Amino acid sequence: MQASSLHPIRFYKTVLLFALLAGILLVYYSFDPSEHAFFLPCPFHYLTGFLCPGCGSQRAIHQLLHGHIGLAYNLNPLLVLSLPFLAYGIYNKVYNYLFNTQRRISLFYSNIFIYGYTGCILFFWIFRNIRA
Amino acid sequence: MEQTHNRVQHPPDNNLVWGILCTVLCCIPFGIVSIIKANKVNQLWMMGDHEGAYKAARAARNWALWGALLGPVLIIFFYIVFFVIYAGILFTSY
Repeated sequence: MQASSLHPIRFYKTVLLFALLAGILLVYYSFDPSEHAFFLPCPFHYLTGFLCPGCGSQRAIHQLLHGHIGLAYNLNPLLVLSLPFLAYGIYNKVYNYLFNTQRRISLFYSNIFIYGYTGCILFFWIFRNIRA
Repeated sequence: MEQTHNRVQHPPDNNLVWGILCTVLCCIPFGIVSIIKANKVNQLWMMGDHEGAYKAARAARNWALWGALLGPVLIIFFYIVFFVIYAGILFTSY
């Protein structure tokens, strides 16, 4: 396998994608979803009235962008606790894409982690509906 | 030869990130299916079914993608339906 080098076209695509992401985050920074109606509600909550594991994420992102980690945790603990894994996973994805490598995160291939995480989602899903 | 050797060394990217992202950002059933598929990638790879592992990895990515697309589409669809119903009530009640 040849030495990994930066793929120029993929680099520009990534920059464009991150600019788009920054634009979306700017909207989430500027407007609080709990005060403005133009944010899309969760389809599951909209239809059934029950909370899903992702409900509160938009409000939590708004609070996170303002540095209020505690408030974000109250809105959606699953999102806040998943952030390190998401950041690491996305970093790895982008790295593989840019340098055309095949890096793998061993944690993401561990059965214990995947079953544990799925269990957490299901437990959280049931628990937050019982509590509410 | 180099290509096949490389494929044997590394399991396919199981796309677990997208599954987690999809679940956390509110596309529930699809995100969980994606995570289960991602788990199958590892199991199939360990059993030596490399073709199946690649297929499961692709399935994991597609479930997360469909979840991410279907959520907003569904909600916009329901907005339109309710708008039509409200408009109907408004016009028939006079």
